[in-house]
Amino acid sequence: MKSREEEYKEIFIAEALEYFDSLNRHISTLEKQPDDDQTLAEIFRLLHNLKANSKAIGYLQISDVSHKLETAFSLIRNKELAFSDEVVAVLFDGIDMLGELIQNVDNPDQGEPDPILLRNLDIIVENLSDSTIELTKVQKYNTSKNLSLSELIYIQIKKLDHMMNLVGELMIDRDRIISISKELGNDELASVSSHLYRITEDLQYSVMGARLVNIGSLFNKFPRIVRDVAAAEKKEVNLELTGQDIQIDRNILQIITDSLLHLVRNAITHGLERPEEREKKGKSRVGHLRLRAQSDRENVLLELSDDGRGIDLRKVQKTAVERKLVTEEVAAGLDETETLSFLFEPGFSTAKEVTEYSGRGVGLDVVKNAIDSIGGRLTLETEKGKGTTFSMLLPTSIAVKGALLFEVNGIFYAIPLIHTDQVVALDKDELHEVGDVLITDLKGETVTVVYLHELLNAPEADMRLGDKTRLKGQVQNIIVVSYNNRKLGLIVDKLYRQQDIVVKPLSKPLESIDLYGGVTLLGTGKVCLVLDVPALTRYFINRRQG
Amino acid sequence: MAKQTKNTSSDKDQAEGKPAVAEPGENGQTTVAPAPQKDEMVHLIVFKLGAEYYAIKIEQVKEVTITPAITRMPRTPGFIKGVTNIRGDIIAIMDLETRFQIRPASLPPDANPNVTYTLVIEAKDYSIGVEVREMPQSLNLPVSRIDRAPSFLQDINIQENFIEGIAKIEDRLIIVLDMHRILSQEEINQLPNA
Amino acid sequence: MKRILIVDDSFYMRTMLKNMLSDAGYEVVGEAPNGQTALELAKETKPDLITLDVILPDNTGLDVLKGIKAEQPDMKVIIVSAVGQEVIVNEAMEYGALSYIVKPFSEEKVLEVVSKALSEEPKQ
Repeated sequence: MKSREEEYKEIFIAEALEYFDSLNRHISTLEKQPDDDQTLAEIFRLLHNLKANSKAIGYLQISDVSHKLETAFSLIRNKELAFSDEVVAVLFDGIDMLGELIQNVDNPDQGEPDPILLRNLDIIVENLSDSTIELTKVQKYNTSKNLSLSELIYIQIKKLDHMMNLVGELMIDRDRIISISKELGNDELASVSSHLYRITEDLQYSVMGARLVNIGSLFNKFPRIVRDVAAAEKKEVNLELTGQDIQIDRNILQIITDSLLHLVRNAITHGLERPEEREKKGKSRVGHLRLRAQSDRENVLLELSDDGRGIDLRKVQKTAVERKLVTEEVAAGLDETETLSFLFEPGFSTAKEVTEYSGRGVGLDVVKNAIDSIGGRLTLETEKGKGTTFSMLLPTSIAVKGALLFEVNGIFYAIPLIHTDQVVALDKDELHEVGDVLITDLKGETVTVVYLHELLNAPEADMRLGDKTRLKGQVQNIIVVSYNNRKLGLIVDKLYRQQDIVVKPLSKPLESIDLYGGVTLLGTGKVCLVLDVPALTRYFINRRQG
Repeated sequence: MAKQTKNTSSDKDQAEGKPAVAEPGENGQTTVAPAPQKDEMVHLIVFKLGAEYYAIKIEQVKEVTITPAITRMPRTPGFIKGVTNIRGDIIAIMDLETRFQIRPASLPPDANPNVTYTLVIEAKDYSIGVEVREMPQSLNLPVSRIDRAPSFLQDINIQENFIEGIAKIEDRLIIVLDMHRILSQEEINQLPNA
Repeated sequence: MKRILIVDDSFYMRTMLKNMLSDAGYEVVGEAPNGQTALELAKETKPDLITLDVILPDNTGLDVLKGIKAEQPDMKVIIVSAVGQEVIVNEAMEYGALSYIVKPFSEEKVLEVVSKALSEEPKQ
C-alpha cells in the first residue's frame, strides 16, 4: 500500500508533466499570436497551479521558477513586457528548465537550476523597460530532446503483455471448447460454452482497454518540437492537431514514436519551403502541417500532411534507374504508387538526389519496417508543389488481429485485415492475360491478379502466373491486398469468414521463412497459416522478374 | 544428458579399438575416455526409412505419436512436410527419407497406409517431428553392440557425422542417428526465403 | 455529516483537499475541475459548503461564484486562492464568499476556516 505522500507525489508529477506539455503547446501558439488572450490566460493558469502545487508539496525550485514565469506572463498580459524575440527565448528556456526540474524531482544528483537562466528571468521580470541590460545566452544542455511518454500507467507494461498472452491462449482453448460442444450437441455444454465465450470476450477487451492511452499523449509533444525544428530551419510552420482523444495500445504508440518524430522532422526540413519561396509560389508564408488521428473499429489511422513542395516522381525514377533498381524503359512506365514505393527501399530515401530535390530525408525504410513490425501499413500520397501526406494504418492492439480466412488447395490460410483492401468475385472473363500476369479492372483501377495456388504450389520452373487455363471454375474469389502502395489481387479457392485470430510465431526451423507471419489455431484445432503480405508481395515480384 | 550417453558410446568404441570416426573438434570431450563399462545399456527408438532400419536414442525423443493432421507449408524445402498441432505446440514435421534421398519402400501388407507416426524430437529450444510410416519399436541393447562402420557409409546420402554408429542385432543392421547434429546442421536452420 | 463540494482545476489540489476534509469527518460530495461542472454539481448535490478555486480553465472563479449565488443565494462558499490574488479575493467577498484560504495551505488552516464557515450564517 502506498503512503499518502507517495500518492501525492505521483499525482503531482503526473499532473506537472501534463502542465509542462500543455505549456509547451501554448507558448508555441503564443509565439505566433502574441495577442491571444485565451492562450495567455491558460498559460497563466497552468503556471499558477504548478506554483501552488509545487509549493504545497515542497518542491521549492519548481515553485520559484513557475513564479518567475508566472510574473513574466502577467506582465505580458498587462502589456508591461513586450513579447520580443529575446523574451521569448528566455521564456522557452524557463519552461524547459521547469520540465527538467519536474522530471528530476526524484534525482538526488539534480543540481541547482542554471543561475544564468534564473538571472535572465529576473531581468525580464524586474527591469521592465530597460533594454540595456544584456540577457546572457544560455548554454542549452538538452539540445537533443528525448520523447518520453507519460508514466500515468502505474503498471508495468510487461505484466499487461503477459496478461494479453494468457488471454490469447485462453481464447484458443475457448474456441476449441465451442467447436467440441457443437460436435457433442449437449445443451448444457452449449450454454456453458456460450457463457465462456462472452466472458473471455469481455476479458480480452478489458485487458486491451487497460493498455490503451490517448494519442494526445504523443501528439501534444509535437507543437514544441515543430516549433524548435522550424526555428532551426528558418521556416514558419503552423501545426494542426486533431484526434488527440483517440485511443491506442501504449506499446504501439511507443513503437511509432520515433517514426512519427522522424516524419515530422522530415516534413519541416524537406517538405515545407522557406517563407520567401512559398510566397513566390503564391502560397501562404506559413507552412501547414497537419497531424490527424482517426479510428475505425480496430484500426487507427494517423495522417501527417504538409502543404510543401511534394515529391518529384521523375527524380525518384531517375534515382531508381541510377541505383539500378529498375531499367530506364521500365521506370518511364511506372505509375505514381509504383514510383513512390521506391522510397521505401532500404537506403533509397537517403540518396542525395532525393533529399535535395524531392525532399524526403533519411531512412523511410526504417519507418516502414517499424510500422510493418506491428502489422501496420504505411502509405504516402504526394502532389508536386502541393504537398505530401503519409498515412499510417495501425492496429489498435497487437495481440489479436482481425483476419480473413480462406482456403487454397486444401490448406487454410489467413491474411490480416490490415493488409486486405477488398474482396471481390469476378468472372474469369474479366481477367485478362497481359504479358506474364493477369490483370483486371476494379472500379477504374488496374490491378494485377495472381492465382495463389499457382504462386504457392506450382513448381517454380513451371509457374505460369499469366495463364488463365490454370484457374478452376468460372467465378473467381479475389482478395485484394495492398502493400507498399501496390495492390495485388489473390485468387483463392474458397473464402471463409472474417475472424479475430491470435497469431502464434513459428518455431525453429521455420521461423526464418518470411512468407508466413506465423500460424493460428482454428477452433477445430487445425493449423491455419498466416500469410505475410509484404513477403508474399516480394515473392511475387521476384518471381515475375526471375 | 543425451550427450553424455552419446559420448560414452563413442568413447567405448575407441576403448575397444574399433575404427573411430573422427568427431568434429567442437566436442572436445570425446577424446577423454572413461573406463569401459561392459554392461551399460542404451535405449533406442527404431524405425524404418526406405528398406533400412534406423534408430534415435530415447533421450532425444520426447514422444512418439500417431501423426496428427499436417498442414503443408508451400515454398518450404521438400523435406519439411508441414506443421502440426501437438497439444497446442505448433511444430514442423520433417521427412528424413526426402532429406537423405532414401527411396521409400513399399509398406508391409499389415500396415495401415493412412496412419503414420511422428517422433517428436527435442532440440535445445524447440521441438521438431520426424514422420515415419511404420510404427517405431523400442529396443534396449548393450552399448557395446553399437559400432562405428565408416565403410558402410559410402553408399548412402547421410553425412557421416550424422551417424552415431551401427547396431547389429541378429541379422539386422540399425543405423543410429544423432538428431542433435542433424538439427544443428545449417541446411535446416537456414531455410531459403521467398 | 456536512457535505462539501470541491472546485479546483488541479487534481493534486483536489486530492489534498479531499483527503484533509474526509479525514476530518466531512463528506466530499463532488469534485469539479472547471466552472461548468462546478455549477452543475452545485445544483445537483446541494452541498453545505463549496471550496472554490479562483482560477479555472473555463470561467473565472468569480463568475462561478456569481452563478452559484444566483441560483442558491444561501450557499456557503470559501475562496481558495494564492498569494497575489488579494484583489480577486476581496471582490469575491463582496459577492458573497464567506471566507478564503491561501495556497499553499496547512491542514489546520483549512479545517479552521471550513468549520467556522459552516457554523456561520450564510452571507447573501
